[in-house]
Amino acid sequence: MSHKFSRRKFLRNSLLGTGAMTLGFPALKVNAEEHKIRVGVVTSLSGANRFGGNLTRRGYDLWAEEINKLGGIEIEGKRYPVEMFYGDAQSRPASGADAAERLIIQDEVDVLFGPYTSGVTLAVQPISQKYRVPMISGSAESPNVWLAKPAFNFGMIPAVDLTTDKSMVVLAENLGDRAKTASVIGVDEPFSKETAEGFRKGVEESGLDLLSYELFPAGSDLSAIVSKLKSSNPDIVAVGGHEDVFINFVNTAKALNYKPKALIMHYGVTSAAFIKETGSESNGILGVSVWTEGLPYKDELFGTASDYSDLSFSRWGTRPDYTEAACSASGLVLQDAARRLGKAPPWDQGTRAELAKAIEDTDIETFYGPVGFAKEGSHFHNNTKPVPAVVQIKSGDVVPVAPENASKGELVYPIPGST
Amino acid sequence: MDLFLQTLVNGILIGGILICLTIGFQLTFGVLHVIDFAVGGWTMLGGYTAYWLVTLAGIDPFISIFLVFALFLLIGRGLGPLIYHVRTSRYARPDLMALAFTFGIFLFMRGGALWLWSYNSRSVDSVLSGQFLSLGPITIPLMRLSAFLMALLFSLGLFILLYRSRFGMAVRALAQNHDHAGLMGVDVKRVSAWVYGIYTALTASAGVLIATIYSVNPSVGVRYTLFAFFVAVLAGLGSVGGVLVAGLALGLLEAYVATYIGARYSLLIVFGTLYLTLLVAPKGVLGRGI
Repeated sequence: MSHKFSRRKFLRNSLLGTGAMTLGFPALKVNAEEHKIRVGVVTSLSGANRFGGNLTRRGYDLWAEEINKLGGIEIEGKRYPVEMFYGDAQSRPASGADAAERLIIQDEVDVLFGPYTSGVTLAVQPISQKYRVPMISGSAESPNVWLAKPAFNFGMIPAVDLTTDKSMVVLAENLGDRAKTASVIGVDEPFSKETAEGFRKGVEESGLDLLSYELFPAGSDLSAIVSKLKSSNPDIVAVGGHEDVFINFVNTAKALNYKPKALIMHYGVTSAAFIKETGSESNGILGVSVWTEGLPYKDELFGTASDYSDLSFSRWGTRPDYTEAACSASGLVLQDAARRLGKAPPWDQGTRAELAKAIEDTDIETFYGPVGFAKEGSHFHNNTKPVPAVVQIKSGDVVPVAPENASKGELVYPIPGST
Repeated sequence: MDLFLQTLVNGILIGGILICLTIGFQLTFGVLHVIDFAVGGWTMLGGYTAYWLVTLAGIDPFISIFLVFALFLLIGRGLGPLIYHVRTSRYARPDLMALAFTFGIFLFMRGGALWLWSYNSRSVDSVLSGQFLSLGPITIPLMRLSAFLMALLFSLGLFILLYRSRFGMAVRALAQNHDHAGLMGVDVKRVSAWVYGIYTALTASAGVLIATIYSVNPSVGVRYTLFAFFVAVLAGLGSVGGVLVAGLALGLLEAYVATYIGARYSLLIVFGTLYLTLLVAPKGVLGRGI
């Protein structure tokens, strides 16, 4: 038998071999990846909102790391690891929508974790709807996000009008007869205005006398507003805005020799940056937090709220705020829904629609608190279950003071040195 | 009555802040014929420089304002020839090119501020922060009073420079006609560069006071650019004297509208006033604009 080398045979075999490898590789690839759940994160990793965007990433990543330590999400007795993909929204809604589309088409993600801001979330919503990819948003807080009743989008943090409304009621209950009047001011821009509206609603619900409700354009000089508040001196002053407005309010009030008896704000008050920038003037200021580490909630993956805080601190070097917590809890919602869905990934469009339905039916307790999404009304698919905690800054520390089950200290009222 | 008087004081003091912000801007428009979009950016950078000086070296803004003035005089003097080059280029519409150029500078400043100081607002503390003077029921914040006095000082200094010095004469000649000034022996390029330097120095110094009164973050630049335009249009573009009247008028208007009509309408009414001014008196309140 001749074993003579044949060039023709060699070329034919090489061609056949290459062809088989080329055709067979995708099959091998699919086979290799079918055991993973591909999660796309659209958030602002650059631009003006990159600080907040990175907070969301920390929250999502912490969940992915923890669940992967267990081997992944358990579905029908088998564990599927989570693989994270990132799309930078660059703090711009249009870029967020592009990033989401890239994640869905190029990275073929099964599910999306939502952006940091409500503006970007609103831009990404139609993309998740178009491709029928469920999106769990760990951060968006504007009630506008839920007005359009997005079928595939779910929000972990109650809309700001709900949190400020409930927190004002909680505060008024705690103060009892000591507070009878309130004034609400806020920046005339979407998020801040909704915050102020929530405070106003809370004032009305709790039976306080609303002395004034005033909105002002962003960047306004606050001396006129502070002078009016000083002249009417309500028992509670509520401010809807962002951190820079709070700092300006505190500075202007101090310069005009005015200190309200109770000053409640919302987002940013509890941040280390606000406390640092306002120094001793921040003492006694009240804030609203959907979650704090002192809350008595727990789950199997993260343990108690306090355990989660320790874990996050050991991983990132800073204590988590409620945005990070809500983002980590987004993973818990996915875990629970995937378990109930009972279908192994990858998920096609039909299965993803079933997954969205499973998410809609979520009813779980987590370290972040109870999670359940509204199925109708103006807060459609928003997690309306958590009751916010009222926190107070005391010597630079953020201390939950109400409601009772979250309280870790007495509410100081009126603020020492108030007008 | 107490609230009325307090509003009067508030309005005058807001006017002082607006004058500080705009006076340099007017000078550079009058001489270089450049609508400098970076005016808010210089204000922001002045504020951040004061923030660094107070946090890193413990220098109070009332001292650092002189350092900021000197620093930004040099920066502006260095940048001035570039602005002049763009403004006098032979391409079509150099005025628009200059507008785009300063807008680019502004974006660069904003991006740089985000990179260096992040998005968080920074407070600049001074010995006068939170201090006030009580005159019966009226409270006068000392920081704002300082800004008002600084506005008067800026204006006085500028008038002395323009009307009592040879350099000022050259600047006024340039404002009237670049070609003729050149023919009379004025070094147009050099004087223009110094004018840009004075403008950046005045505006950054105003930024020190503004950051001390309010706070500073990378997004404040847009707001201050807008306010500088408001005052400049009401004053009459290029009219330095008009800035005093326009700044005070807008400050009082904003304060009284916010107190008695509603803060929500303050910008709307300010915009309406500008619109009417452009229609009725396009040369500004003193009729001396370009």
